[in-house]
Amino acid sequence: MTVRRLLLYTPILIILFLLQSYFWIPTFEQQSRSNPHRLGEFINASIGDASILNPILAADASSSQINSLVFEGLVDRDANLDFRGRIARSWEIYEEAYFYYNESARIPGRGRLSPAALLTLLESAMAGELPLSPETQRSLNNIDTIEMINPEQSSVMRGAISLTLTPPQRFKLTLRSVDQNLFKSLATILGDDYFTSFAADAYLHSDAPVSLEQKNRYARELLPAIEHNPVILFHLRPQVTFHDGHVLDAYDVVFTYAALMDPKNLSPRIPDYEPVKRLEVPDPLTVRVIYKKLFSPALGTWSMGILPEHLLNDRALAEEARRLHKDPAAFSLRQSEFNRHPIGCGPFTFKEWKSDQYILLERFDGYWEGPPLYQRYFFRIIPDLLTQEMEFYAGTIDSYDAQPHQVNRLKNHPQYQSFSGLSFGYTYIGYNMRRPPFNDLRVRKALGMAIDVDQIIEYLLFGQGERITGPFVKQTDYYNHSLDSLPFDPQGALRLLEEAGWLPDDNGWLTRDGKRLQFTLITNSGNDLRKAILAIAQDAWRKIGIDVRTDMLEWSVFIQERVDKSDFDAVILGWGMSIEPDLYQIWHSSQTNAHQLNFVAFKNERADELIMKIRQEYDHNQQVAYCHRLHEIIAAEQPYTFLYATTWTALLDKRIVLQETNVAGETVYKKITPTKTGNYAFYFNKWIKLPEMPAFTAEN
Amino acid sequence: MLSFVARSFVQKIVTLFFVSIVSFLIIYLAPGEPSQVDPLNPKFTPEMVERFRKEFHLDQPLYRQYLYFYGGFFSGKTVSWKDNEPALAKIEERFWNSLPLFIVGTIITWTLSFPVGIRAAIARNGIFDRSTTFIAYLLISIPGFFFAYLLIILIVTRLHVPVIGMETFGLGGTGTAALFMDRVWHLLLPSLLGATGGIAILSRYVRSQMLEVEGQDYIRTARAKGLSPEQVHYKHALRNALLPFVTMFGLILPGLIGGSVIIESIFSWPGMGRMAYEAILARDYPIVLTLNFISAVLVLLGTFISDVLYMIVDPRIRL
Repeated sequence: MTVRRLLLYTPILIILFLLQSYFWIPTFEQQSRSNPHRLGEFINASIGDASILNPILAADASSSQINSLVFEGLVDRDANLDFRGRIARSWEIYEEAYFYYNESARIPGRGRLSPAALLTLLESAMAGELPLSPETQRSLNNIDTIEMINPEQSSVMRGAISLTLTPPQRFKLTLRSVDQNLFKSLATILGDDYFTSFAADAYLHSDAPVSLEQKNRYARELLPAIEHNPVILFHLRPQVTFHDGHVLDAYDVVFTYAALMDPKNLSPRIPDYEPVKRLEVPDPLTVRVIYKKLFSPALGTWSMGILPEHLLNDRALAEEARRLHKDPAAFSLRQSEFNRHPIGCGPFTFKEWKSDQYILLERFDGYWEGPPLYQRYFFRIIPDLLTQEMEFYAGTIDSYDAQPHQVNRLKNHPQYQSFSGLSFGYTYIGYNMRRPPFNDLRVRKALGMAIDVDQIIEYLLFGQGERITGPFVKQTDYYNHSLDSLPFDPQGALRLLEEAGWLPDDNGWLTRDGKRLQFTLITNSGNDLRKAILAIAQDAWRKIGIDVRTDMLEWSVFIQERVDKSDFDAVILGWGMSIEPDLYQIWHSSQTNAHQLNFVAFKNERADELIMKIRQEYDHNQQVAYCHRLHEIIAAEQPYTFLYATTWTALLDKRIVLQETNVAGETVYKKITPTKTGNYAFYFNKWIKLPEMPAFTAEN
Repeated sequence: MLSFVARSFVQKIVTLFFVSIVSFLIIYLAPGEPSQVDPLNPKFTPEMVERFRKEFHLDQPLYRQYLYFYGGFFSGKTVSWKDNEPALAKIEERFWNSLPLFIVGTIITWTLSFPVGIRAAIARNGIFDRSTTFIAYLLISIPGFFFAYLLIILIVTRLHVPVIGMETFGLGGTGTAALFMDRVWHLLLPSLLGATGGIAILSRYVRSQMLEVEGQDYIRTARAKGLSPEQVHYKHALRNALLPFVTMFGLILPGLIGGSVIIESIFSWPGMGRMAYEAILARDYPIVLTLNFISAVLVLLGTFISDVLYMIVDPRIRL
């Protein structure tokens, strides 16, 4: 009967047809044999797709990874995490500092001085003719030139009000290196209140009546008594070309900056560049970046990729808008097709992007440092970790990040090589210091001492983590290695709590004034590690008599309703860090309001001062010294119980090696070795895949 | 007939309007913000967050946002917040990816379920019936992703061939036939996995419907006439048992979007279900709402089709 046969044979035939395709599929070993190009391809996998391939607009990890291959910044970090030049051949950092002549101030021991006399005084001080403290002398020796700028009358508009400025003489000091203590040093010569007593409002006249308060604000803004203007002078490499052959010059750098700051483009990186005052181009291969204020993370921000001006300037965008029949006035960089077909000057050129499937890059033969050895780079999007693992086994991904529980199994696998290092981030338990009992250091410390972090690392992370004592990235110099982590000591914790007035009642619960020590520990759902820590901490605290409740909330509810509104007792969370040691947003006392990141309300004057100093210090060693002190303060105050930083382990096919040419001109293969900081992909451009697994001698 | 079409068209427009309001409210009132607005990123100042919210009109009253969205939607100007790509173009691209999965899965489900269910009904309580019942409940109760994982692990570690995605990576230059077969191979697992769950459920329905019909007088009459068992079961019984499946058939259309979320994510298949899932996670409202609207249209279209099919299958029904 036909109906029955139809219903039965159709599916069977379809399934048979699907099954026979198996015989066409190459296996792991056959892949490179049947397709020799496979050896020139590197295939990477990611959980999420990229969103926007434009370095000034991207904020997500996937986009940034592609952007770092397609685009090139002025500088980046070398194997030791120090800066090295990329598009910039070299750079110099110096400072221009300004202060106004203060006619009402009396110079100690000299009385009132005219501007010219003041200049002479400073010059003689620079020449070492005055008895000064060593610090002051050091600041003065750092001054290259002093000049006096004669005043010019000017006027500015603020709203409908016209303001006329008739400032006094101004002194411009050019410093050999940035010096945040300059004015402090000068004050020892000019008098402690020379800069603070400068009455700026006397030089400001408005055509309409304004309130005194308003006038003072304008005066402070327009006539600041002192001003630090750090300057970075970049010398660009000649003949660096974009993938379309256009030669990169200083105007591309200026354009990238201008596009980033254009409010229309909604760049998420604006805060990095807000301190920039202006950019100057003395010649096409030199850029001078002048900052409004001291901002030591400045150099690091220039690792951002440089955009090609000739493809994205107003004219090009207007043309594109016309081609796409869109309103040119509303058409910004954000709408441009460029973001899906980027052109930069990095080692790889963009070829193809299939959403949610892959992004394909091809090597750029004109790369200034010599092209990479891989012909093609695939960035596959595989949202599921287990499937990623399977694809790695099947040979259709070249690297895989092992999960903690897999590390021991895969680390010594004959087919793979493995690399591991510490991640730039940490997990912590944060206490809301606005609320009792967390405003008591002894309680915070006791809570930390009751938890056995080593066991968490051993059993929860399968040993793939390290303890940390503070907020800096552990493998940088900023981290203070001399500090000991909090010991696991429940008895000691009980003693501390007893000191704080918490004593066990008949049932063993800690109480004070008839009230139990009771609070709620919360975290976001969907993170198994945090969920487990939640249970471990609850159990550890219960053991010493603390009544802890726990709660897990969906991420956005957790952030919006609890963290942002500071409505919590204790939270388990993690921070991802960058190398830059700027802790302002997370630890400064001004950042404790709703929606700000110091949600535990950590307030410490000494810490505030150090945070500001770190932000303003350009000297690495001095910065490290400040960081060590800040680390010590935070570790002593225990606003967080710092738990751990996880270890990542990456696996690579063993057939991937480093290819180099030795002095004799022969090609030699070397085993891939990670840099000191654990970055195994640092020499990625020299990687190549061999058809057979290589055998290396002991030293190589 | 014409008046039925007109009537149901008007009804469906009204329904669609309410669906648009409800789905809009659910999505906009749910907590969370688009992933571009990241309040927990130390580099984001409150001004930045504010600027992003303004760009996405999130600072406006709800009814204005509603008008903004559907205004853009009907003029075809809706763009994804994630990458500024036009929403409809993005969805169309995914539609063509999801379609083969959907077609193969549907064909296998809607063919194989019938012989299996009928056989079980005829030989009620026999070995075949009992074993299919057991297997069907097993398949229904064990989650699909679990089977998917087992199969993937088995095939990759035993056979050493790739199964993820729509094609094998790095296969370029091996000829069109091989490339085509490669695609077919990648279709095998996800479509079969999608179909097994469907077969398990549908064959149960077929069985119970058939059992109901098999006891009727006209079946006995057909048998008494001396018709072959096949004719009795597949012609006289099956036709009368078909009625409820007409309704179900209309409702498989929205499965194009919702039916494949898990399978598509596991196999990293760039289809519509996975797109919807990721858009929800990233709070990409334009994509979520557009997909929502499309699936509402598909549901209504499905019910319309089954209404029409009803009339064709059963002449007694007048709408």
